[in-house]
Amino acid sequence: MTTERSVAELSDPQRRQAVGGEVIHLMLRMRPPWVFIDEIRRFTESFCACACPGANREAGMALAVHELMQNAITTSRGEDIDLVFEVEPRADRVSVSITNRCASEEFETLRDRIERMNREPDALAHYLEVMRETPSKDRGGLGLARVRFEAQLSLSAAWVGGRVTVRAEGRIRVPALHAIGGTHV
Amino acid sequence: MSSQPLGTRPELQVAEEKYSAALAADAQGTRVVFRGTVSTENPGAVLNPFVDAVHKHLLARQVTEVRIDLRELEFCNSSGFKSFIHWIQQIQQLPDAQRYRLRFQSSPQRKWQRVSLLALSCYGLNCVMME
Repeated sequence: MTTERSVAELSDPQRRQAVGGEVIHLMLRMRPPWVFIDEIRRFTESFCACACPGANREAGMALAVHELMQNAITTSRGEDIDLVFEVEPRADRVSVSITNRCASEEFETLRDRIERMNREPDALAHYLEVMRETPSKDRGGLGLARVRFEAQLSLSAAWVGGRVTVRAEGRIRVPALHAIGGTHV
Repeated sequence: MSSQPLGTRPELQVAEEKYSAALAADAQGTRVVFRGTVSTENPGAVLNPFVDAVHKHLLARQVTEVRIDLRELEFCNSSGFKSFIHWIQQIQQLPDAQRYRLRFQSSPQRKWQRVSLLALSCYGLNCVMME
């Protein structure tokens, strides 16, 4: 590892060499984080750019952190929210997990939403369906579908001891998204 | 490019602590400029009435296209993103002759924008364009 310069100062090849194949594990615990949500997103974006050099993955991971954190804040009732960000270069895998207190009924609603989402193999088709179905005047309902399609991450949720962990994971290197649809000029 | 706010009607511009939106005019015509970071808990409470007012303004002037300038919008959460969906739905409810297009301008530095607009363009077939 480079010690005299921060990783952020290095070029992508230098970063790859510095990071090597090591598993990178970052954990943050926050309470209550609402006012800091932009700082958390920016930090994640910057950290991801350094941890996944040249992969162009930072915007998607920052989006995922923001949306999942925002959902967590709604159910955590002011208690701790844990964020774990992991990069496994050799496995070509990146993930973010958010853990927070959650009532069982809220978890069941979340689990049903994720199961329904995962039954549709086409992430864009599901995203468009949610856009059509979710009342635009109501808050929430779109974030998970947005993370799945825009960040190209798969989502899962588990509930242990009154705390839910929502995990979004995918490949470090993903293809650029293209969709047949709107007009691009 | 310099632009001037259109008129003094308060409903055609909104400003919160972290973001703002305003209808403006420049040499190329009418555009709606979004700035800042839309990351509050319920931005739709602010942005949907703004979108409704702009929509009404554009209909009254029978425009065929309006530019939506996101170049200075650092981020927009999904709750804020729903205001664009709301806008598209408003347009889709119009008779064909009254419909207008939303032409989005994005920043290459803000990489989330391109992907978000890609999804939005799929939702708003024939009424969303990306520059």
